Amino acid sequence: MTASLTLQSLVLGVLLGGLYALLAAGLTLYFGVMRVVMIAHSALLILAAYIAWFFERQTGLDPLLSLVITVPLFFVAGVVMQRLLIARLRPATLTMMSVLLTFSIALLIEGLLGFVFTGTHRRIQLPYSGTHFEFFGASIAVVKLIAFGLAAASLAALYVLLKTTRFGQALRATIQHPDAARLVGINTDRVAGYGFGLGLATAAIGGTALSLDSTIYPSLHWHWIGPLMAIIVVGGLGSIPGAAIAAMALGLSQSLLQIPLGTTWAQTLFYVALFATLMLRPQGFFGGRLAQRF
Amino acid sequence: MHSVSDPRPGRGRTAVRTARVVGLVALVALVAAFPSLAPDSFILSVGVVIASYAVLATSWNFVGGFTGYISLGHAAYSGLGGYATALLILRADVNPWLALALGGLIVAALAVPIGIASLRVRGASFVIVSIALVLILLLVFQSWGSFTGGSNGLRVPRPFGDDVLRPEQHERFFYLHAALLAVLLLCWWAIDRSRFGMGLKAIREDEDKAQSLGVPTFAYKLVVFVVSAFFTAIGGGMYALWFGYLDPIFQFSILVGSYMVLMSLLGGIRSLFGPLLGAVIVGYAMEFFKAQYGDTQAHLIAMGALLALVVLFMPDGIIPALGNLVNRFRPKAASIRELTAEELTVQREQQEVRG
Amino acid sequence: MTTTITRGLETTGLAKSFGGVHAVDNATVAFHHGKVNALIGPNGSGKTTFFNCVTGMIKPDAGSVSYRGEDITGRPPHRIARAGIGRSFQLCRVFPRMTVLENLLASVRSPTLPGWLRSARQRGDIERARELLMRVGIDHLEHAEARDLSYGQQKLLELAGVLMTDPETIMLDEPAGGVNPALLDRIANLVRALNAEGKTFLIVEHNMDLVMSLSDHVVVFDRGAPIAEGSPDEVRADPRVLEAYLGS
Repeated sequence: MTASLTLQSLVLGVLLGGLYALLAAGLTLYFGVMRVVMIAHSALLILAAYIAWFFERQTGLDPLLSLVITVPLFFVAGVVMQRLLIARLRPATLTMMSVLLTFSIALLIEGLLGFVFTGTHRRIQLPYSGTHFEFFGASIAVVKLIAFGLAAASLAALYVLLKTTRFGQALRATIQHPDAARLVGINTDRVAGYGFGLGLATAAIGGTALSLDSTIYPSLHWHWIGPLMAIIVVGGLGSIPGAAIAAMALGLSQSLLQIPLGTTWAQTLFYVALFATLMLRPQGFFGGRLAQRF
Repeated sequence: MHSVSDPRPGRGRTAVRTARVVGLVALVALVAAFPSLAPDSFILSVGVVIASYAVLATSWNFVGGFTGYISLGHAAYSGLGGYATALLILRADVNPWLALALGGLIVAALAVPIGIASLRVRGASFVIVSIALVLILLLVFQSWGSFTGGSNGLRVPRPFGDDVLRPEQHERFFYLHAALLAVLLLCWWAIDRSRFGMGLKAIREDEDKAQSLGVPTFAYKLVVFVVSAFFTAIGGGMYALWFGYLDPIFQFSILVGSYMVLMSLLGGIRSLFGPLLGAVIVGYAMEFFKAQYGDTQAHLIAMGALLALVVLFMPDGIIPALGNLVNRFRPKAASIRELTAEELTVQREQQEVRG
Repeated sequence: MTTTITRGLETTGLAKSFGGVHAVDNATVAFHHGKVNALIGPNGSGKTTFFNCVTGMIKPDAGSVSYRGEDITGRPPHRIARAGIGRSFQLCRVFPRMTVLENLLASVRSPTLPGWLRSARQRGDIERARELLMRVGIDHLEHAEARDLSYGQQKLLELAGVLMTDPETIMLDEPAGGVNPALLDRIANLVRALNAEGKTFLIVEHNMDLVMSLSDHVVVFDRGAPIAEGSPDEVRADPRVLEAYLGS
């Protein structure tokens, strides 16, 4: 393994980790505000990628512009989903039933995508698709960099939102201690709805970023949900910084392991990490268990 | 003294018991007669598929029904059971039926560490592990081609000789599945009425509370989880012996696991026959869909919509819903629930006066 | 004076914090075995966290819990229950979709593995359960589902459920919360009668009338640690207690 190849893997790992981090942040938000394991997250990711692809094909404009439509659309869809569907479930069985409900949403999305766009593999061709630039001997695709930039900017925006605004404060309070949050006058139902909306918005952004340099097909979401779940468990369910660190660490390791092991076996890293975490430290490595810290 | 307020008067209870026995006899007769009633080999094979689903869903319900832990990844155990059986026959030249039993035991042994990892923390991690397990097994079985046959699949030798014709094969496997189902139902029933089962149901209702009353929740969950994995593996192995062919993409599919969930939930996870009823309904609907619309994505949409509807509007399933309907016509049983506190004190006073 | 006291439930330097907030902070308490002990303190003084640390629901960060001289720190809740400590929950928890009788039978365990499959409806267990239901006064409801009971009836059911495990020490988390005066009397009488039969009680309670009339020994918590203890009269006269309640 040459130095430049290693460097290239490192850079690609960081770029991939950024996308993982953004998506894992979304999953963490759902889990934080409602204790919901959102299986449909990666299906929504693929849906957003399809919208970006379709947008580009119909209008010929840059797929990044589709964000103007998808982000607000997904945010509203998230709020509606929380208020109309998740909130209907009985609190006693919420964790389990919400899994099934979001699972059924994932199936519906996959089925509808297959129905409308068929199972054909799709890919966006951009003028800058093939552009690379050299970085100390490593060759990095520009689209990957754009995807990373998008993810990093969104994560930073999310961080600022949570840390500095009143809404962010209310959201954090809701995650940490819903009863106490209600006592101090926070409308936790509304906050949970917005939390869901934000989660879906991360899927919208992630999906657009994904569409730039990936081949997409309806059942692709199964390849994403496993690693993402592993990330939020390793990061400590409910901790956004924890999820981000775990995403980076696992994205990097995956990228580095791909060279000696190949793509498939490198994927198993996530599951090994998942099992190791649950056996050794069920509360996760980088955060408090069940959102005790943020 | 208890008879005064006993909500189940003696006569009603006998009637219910008689109805149950009659229903059970009818069910057994129907199952026994099915192969001779089936007009052709295809319908017979649909019967085997449904029986197999009933076995898998009932096995799933050992965990789902008793503890309320919803596993979306039970396809891992049915798939492993199938592969273990097939590989033991192919690579170690073991007798097929022995391979089936050994396969079940191997999967049960594997389920121990998996259960320890996933049952330690409540709910969320269990679900995540259950999904992750299927995904990881799919990866491994597809990639490890030299041993598992990889994406090309694996041909499983038939346990009955080539001189046994197709319809005869179907018939034998239908009865084998039915017998396995009977064993499963008997075990479920035995646990349901036992102390162990009562503790498990307490976990389903309120795990903290159960633990505070001295129920060793972790051990209970682990035992029933391993039992469920064992039976699921036997079900998967039986299916493999009948179908004769294994492909990772179908064996380790989240969809297969979610069928088990949908069937159990639809029929009613608290009921002995819930998963069976659900398997008959969903299995039949699925075969119907395939025959009508072919292998399009339409079945995904139908399955997703049905699951969402059940979760939102009928999380208790069909059998309890029917039970409630029957109860409505039994005024005595219903009235006890609507007694107010005052009425109860009045009743008590009367009782004391009488006593 | 302390020489004659049997060792019961004791904690030494118990501590638990959540994200920097010290809910229980170096709490050293010895409850009087065979008596009715009360644990009082202003809201947020760490009583419930203390309770949960003792019963194993939460693992303490530091310190130890012992019962009758045996260290039980960090044991899982079911083993603490088996050691003879039963507990109720704040806001009352029963198994909502099991019948009243099943709620009691749920805690019956078989010590050996084959016994796990014995029917849950053993005559002896049912008789004992019925006795307890009669004792708390809800025996006429044995076939009703717990979720159909009134709140007060559920509280009584929870108490009967705890008694079914035959604990030596019973910890009650706000037994008077949300309960009408008539029922409160019934609960108080039950506690007195059970105490007379030798059961130790540890009660977390806000209702001062109940605490003062019922308990032999009162421990006052503030900011995660005991600040005063003694008989009800001593505690009432203690200026630190008043300060804790009025101060913060």
